[in-house]
Amino acid sequence: MEYLMFVVVDPTGEPSDESPEAWVEELDAAGTRLHGDRLRPIEDATTVRVRNGEVIVTDGPFTESKEWIAGYDLLECDSLEEAVAAAAKHPMARAGAVEVRAAWPIDLGDSPESSPAREAAQ
Amino acid sequence: MKYFMFVVEDPTAEPYVPEEDNIGAWVEEMTARGVNQKGDRLRPASEAKTVRIRSGETLITDGPFTESREVIAGYDILECADLDEAIEVASKHPMARFGRIEIRPFWIWE
Repeated sequence: MEYLMFVVVDPTGEPSDESPEAWVEELDAAGTRLHGDRLRPIEDATTVRVRNGEVIVTDGPFTESKEWIAGYDLLECDSLEEAVAAAAKHPMARAGAVEVRAAWPIDLGDSPESSPAREAAQ
Repeated sequence: MKYFMFVVEDPTAEPYVPEEDNIGAWVEEMTARGVNQKGDRLRPASEAKTVRIRSGETLITDGPFTESREVIAGYDILECADLDEAIEVASKHPMARFGRIEIRPFWIWE
């Protein structure tokens, strides 16, 4: 099962300059990490909304917060517990925070019943 | 250029209209164009786990990394010519109207 991991900058984190390289190597070797990367800082984020048929483009992330997503990793794990254990080993768990979310694939044959918008509406 | 797209729920968005949800058509178009490389819906934010290690202790909390009215509902990884194309792709996603979308360029780790 796939789990998406958000690597988060959190000002309450403990100062560290540990690179995630060893973590990446270990999880890649175990076949746990499918891929992942760093993202440009939130200054480079663009938020897109459509309201009354008009496309509204603004600079900045989807929400204002002290914590922000700096990267992601996609993991293949047997359980949420395994994904959480993998996340806890990432150096940013100490220097920031790591959020783990299970993938919930949409069956497009069922669309739109299973779409994210419908889930949000319920 | 690679972009990470956050598909976000937004209580201030337009009310959901099931008949106007074009997610199937969006995936079909973006896959055919070679824009959409990977993506999924995510289990609800209430099922998220956030992990922090402080003073050597592992703290696991339920829920996303930040409390906000907007929550991440899914993601897509896009390969686009430029930001303009990424904005065009995002604006066609049903959640641009029924939620909001954030796009962020990759910063490939060397």
